[in-house]
Amino acid sequence: MHRVLAVAQAVVSDAIRRRIVWVVALFALVLAGAIPMLPSYGVGVEGAVYREIALAMTYVAAMVVALVLSVARIPTEIERRTLYSALAREVRRWEYVFGTWLGIFITLGAVMIAFGAVIFGVGWPVYHEPMWQLWEGVLAIWLEAGVIAAFCVAVSTVSVPAVVSVAALAFLFVTHVRTGLLGGPENPMWHFYPSLDAFNIIAPVAHGSGVSLAYLRSMVAVFVGWAGALVILGALGFARRDL
Amino acid sequence: MDGPEDSAAIRILGAAKHYGARGTSPAVADVSLRVTSGSIHGLLGPNGAGKTTTLKMLLGLVRPTAGRFEMLGEPVSPRVRARVGFLPEQPYFPPLLTAKELLLLHGRLSGMSKDEVLGRASDLLARVGLEGKEGVRLAKFSRGMLQRAGIAQALIASPEVIVLDEPASGLDPVGQRDVRNLMAELASEGATVLLSSHQLSEVEAVCDEVTILNRGYVAAEGRIDDLLGVSGRTSIRVRGDRAALPAEIQSLMEDVAVAGSVWIFSIPDTSVRAAIDILDDNGWTIESVVPKRESLEDYFAQMLASPTPSAGKQVAT
Repeated sequence: MHRVLAVAQAVVSDAIRRRIVWVVALFALVLAGAIPMLPSYGVGVEGAVYREIALAMTYVAAMVVALVLSVARIPTEIERRTLYSALAREVRRWEYVFGTWLGIFITLGAVMIAFGAVIFGVGWPVYHEPMWQLWEGVLAIWLEAGVIAAFCVAVSTVSVPAVVSVAALAFLFVTHVRTGLLGGPENPMWHFYPSLDAFNIIAPVAHGSGVSLAYLRSMVAVFVGWAGALVILGALGFARRDL
Repeated sequence: MDGPEDSAAIRILGAAKHYGARGTSPAVADVSLRVTSGSIHGLLGPNGAGKTTTLKMLLGLVRPTAGRFEMLGEPVSPRVRARVGFLPEQPYFPPLLTAKELLLLHGRLSGMSKDEVLGRASDLLARVGLEGKEGVRLAKFSRGMLQRAGIAQALIASPEVIVLDEPASGLDPVGQRDVRNLMAELASEGATVLLSSHQLSEVEAVCDEVTILNRGYVAAEGRIDDLLGVSGRTSIRVRGDRAALPAEIQSLMEDVAVAGSVWIFSIPDTSVRAAIDILDDNGWTIESVVPKRESLEDYFAQMLASPTPSAGKQVAT
């Protein structure tokens, strides 16, 4: 496991120094801070509107950062031969893939904590209520971004960044149209359709009091299943690849 | 190739790598080599000879189509590779990492603790000429500095076997000399160095033995002196302010080259003593008397001109 952590640490050290990550984060944070200046929607719903827009913005920024960090990482390392000297050591291919994804996921976590702190910190004094449920939304976005990163890392072990980007956007689209395509759980295909809807908790967070602890647990389980399967697929694809 | 197995740090038997949908395009057709423990072994060949593919198969970066690969007496596996350091050709490391972080990454990948790596990093960077550069990001390194950092990462875990692919690439003459000295030091400390290089002078200067690849086959192998030696002739270098060498030896001379007052020529081994006496009696200064051998460049040119890749395969022991 120490080799996985070593790769992850190097990925974090490299990723947090990428200017693009912080430009996206800063831009989104400025916008989040400006949300309270939007026109009022009427008494009683300002807080809900704030939460909805803040989470939507966090979601978009998280996906952009996830794509930026994961789409080209492994292809670039292959092209530049950066990973030769690592894989020529006592490092298994799966350890490299897992460590790379883990490093990206940890970096995303740091970015999400920054986002959560700002939208929480802005919302509390402006709307005079501590919006603790925002953190549930931030957690869901982080987990979904982790799945997207796992998808990108998996595809990037066998393809080029342009293909990975298109595939990731298609994956995002396909995994969010289950309801539109199949209606509801009464459709027999419902349970077999690949979906990331489990992470979409903006409505209960923005307009309700959040989700239950049991739901959060099930969300983490869905994340582990998705990310685990994708990282395993990536490791299998990478193991067979000539560098 | 025959020898006691326990003295071989690296053994490759019948390595082959074919690309293409039907495996019809061989990058490596049939390569076997043996690197003696504690030696510096050169792997030579023109572009496309299969050097880098052979090294990649040895290090697990490319899956071989056929062949057996052993290092340090064991079939190659991640466990064995823990005792190996590798410098790829034209290395390019994550530019936002510092030199120290690069060594930390590779040290930890080799199972070292953070303290162990940090304790060794400064000395190692100084040894490769990067003293005081621990905290500098690799993005600010020149090509030569990256090459030195690459050598440092290859050595961080004190490997028993070091595989260097074009280590002098991008280095100035002083840097190339430093790398040669470093290789000699490593070998004297007991490490085995497998050096792939286009720089024939570098190989001639440091390698004990070489394997020459051509179009995926082993074209020649053995000690450089044995491969390049021209049996029966000796090369003599003399200095003197005369228009011509003594008439008594002119009929014996071949390959005569003159530059200013310096003359270089070869004569049969059997005439060396007499020729030296004659030159001495006539006031010539004798600067060197060495067995005549081809240059590695000439040897290469001959090999490439051969009709088949392994034609005239020479094994010198």
